Amino acid sequence: MANYTYEHTPDRGATAGVLAYLGTACAVLLLMMLVGLLMRLEQAQIIDLGANWFYELMTLHGAGMVGIAGIAGAAVMWHFLRQYVDLSPGIFLANLALFLVGVVMIIGSIVFGHFHAAWTFLYPMPSQSMGMWSQEAAALFMGGLLVIGVGFLLLHLDIARAIVARYGNFARALGWPQLFGHDDGNAPPPTVVASTMVTIVNIVGLVVGASILTMMLLNLYLPEFTIDAMLAKGMIYFFGHVFINATIYMAVIAVYEILPRYTQRPWKANKVFLASWSASTLMVMFIFPHHLLMDFAFPQWMLIMGHIIGYLNTVPILVVTGYGALMIVFRSGIRWDMASRLLFLSLFGWAAGAMPAFIDGTITVNYVMHNTLWVPGHFHTYLLLGMVAMVFGFIYYLGKPGQNAAEGWLDRAAFWGFSSGALGFTLSFLYAGKESVARRYAVHLPEWLPYDRVGSVFAALVVASSLLFVLRFFSRLGAAGRDYARAPLAQGAAA
Amino acid sequence: MNLHARISLGACYLFLATPVARSALEAAMSTHMLLQIPLLAAAGVLLARLLPVARQDALLTACGGALPLVVLALFASSYWMLPRALDAALGDPLTEAAKFISLPLLVGLPLALAWRQLTAIGRGFVWTNFISMLAVLGWLYIAAPVRVCNNYLVDEQGSTGWLMVKLALLLFAGWLGTLFVGGNVAPVAVPASSRDDARQANPA
Repeated sequence: MANYTYEHTPDRGATAGVLAYLGTACAVLLLMMLVGLLMRLEQAQIIDLGANWFYELMTLHGAGMVGIAGIAGAAVMWHFLRQYVDLSPGIFLANLALFLVGVVMIIGSIVFGHFHAAWTFLYPMPSQSMGMWSQEAAALFMGGLLVIGVGFLLLHLDIARAIVARYGNFARALGWPQLFGHDDGNAPPPTVVASTMVTIVNIVGLVVGASILTMMLLNLYLPEFTIDAMLAKGMIYFFGHVFINATIYMAVIAVYEILPRYTQRPWKANKVFLASWSASTLMVMFIFPHHLLMDFAFPQWMLIMGHIIGYLNTVPILVVTGYGALMIVFRSGIRWDMASRLLFLSLFGWAAGAMPAFIDGTITVNYVMHNTLWVPGHFHTYLLLGMVAMVFGFIYYLGKPGQNAAEGWLDRAAFWGFSSGALGFTLSFLYAGKESVARRYAVHLPEWLPYDRVGSVFAALVVASSLLFVLRFFSRLGAAGRDYARAPLAQGAAA
Repeated sequence: MNLHARISLGACYLFLATPVARSALEAAMSTHMLLQIPLLAAAGVLLARLLPVARQDALLTACGGALPLVVLALFASSYWMLPRALDAALGDPLTEAAKFISLPLLVGLPLALAWRQLTAIGRGFVWTNFISMLAVLGWLYIAAPVRVCNNYLVDEQGSTGWLMVKLALLLFAGWLGTLFVGGNVAPVAVPASSRDDARQANPA
């Protein structure tokens, strides 16, 4: 039986590269939140932008949020992973540079080219705009996604190189010798296991994404080369679903690394933990058909696979991480501060956010729920209360002025504002979905407006709270780059 | 050993150029594109491997390093993926000769020379780019609305396209699979990035 004891590791400050990632992530996140708020206000008929603007903002919000979740998640992963393997700062920065180039291309395509086929750019919409946008605008949008994908591919290839150089191969980095043999307690740390999983699934997803983007770019200029629409949708959702799933698997590394410092208890990479990550490595790549359940023309086996794996994949990492967090915190004497609160909240958000997907992944439910606001309710809970809360917890941790630094009432108010705002905002989506309010509609029926108006109020609360988190982070950039102990010792723990 | 290897390589190359082998491999689009052309490129790879290391290094330096060689191999190989180029090779002996010379010397040889100097990231990028482009090319052959080669039937181009897609999937699985096996655990060492931090914290 392996013996796990807590070993204190030095608390490193963020490199300039990580701070550049986080600064970019915070700025774009706030901007995209504002765009989201405008969309809700438009649906609530409080402002009047018009349908075209709504869909342009929806495209910007979707693509921007997916991209920035990737950047923020990569910052968390890179910051902690570099303690175990030798990563290349040059490649890390190259990814950020390519990301920014891609963002400029995407913004240009939307703002100047009026492209608004949503981030899903489903075939054949980009090439058949009925005069709403030009061929060049569609090419700029898809080219921007391609450039961003190339940057992330380089980053993951570098992570793969570093992990293989240190652990020999992916099997060892996933802890398979300990999983399938004797657990000697020497499995790689949770950060390495999670990073390996993310690297595997993202490399596969990005190659598939690059392929469909190239195919659609060719189709844009050579329309006689048609694409099977179902194949295109499958490839887009494979790439998109893997990528957005991977963002939370990157961000959860903050929980694995930071909570043990608060409780002085180890996060065990035991057999159950290793099994859950290995199982999810496979399942994340086969779960995407749960977004295609309404496409009856898809092969039946794919839909059944999406249904079953949709059920199964909810369990392993989420339960292991949630249970692990509860065990690590229970009677630990943890001293709560903004970072630990946000990280703990994020696990609730992740767990709560997965449940609507679990329900929607049932084929019979999916037929009536999938095109309603139930689905935005799911992914906003999962991402806003889960992934984004992890990132906010991480930036609060980095910027914490001292081990026992006290927090002001404004920070605490912002925490409760963010928690209640995000809950209210996501519940307004979920309840509207339950009432069959259609999603992706710029104009809502009068009966739907109360949900939109309530949602707008909560969205404004989320934006205001997030603004404070971000301003606090920017005001503490100097501290975030320094090496010093940040987590207060748990009550009763030996110094 | 080296002499035997050189003679064997030369013999294989000459065998590929014989009318028997040519007509057998060029009779179908799939064997032409997915067997003969890769074999000719492989001959270039083997040729590079048989050169003394000093000669390989000198060639690499003379060509300006790994990147220009990878780009050269990319463009030369892309040309021979064009249906027009296949037709020309079948109809014109000079183009056929150019194919037999350019694929080993402008694809296999430069790629093998560059490979030694490419980092793991560079190799990974070449692999992933090649795999995704092979799949896209396969789709182009499947989706082409017209017969693209005068010498091959339209159903043949469709089946070749599917073979390319399947080959891309197999190569991807194989390349990913290699990352799961072999290698050794490195002794626990402080990563360079962390060593830099330590130096900053303790300059002495």
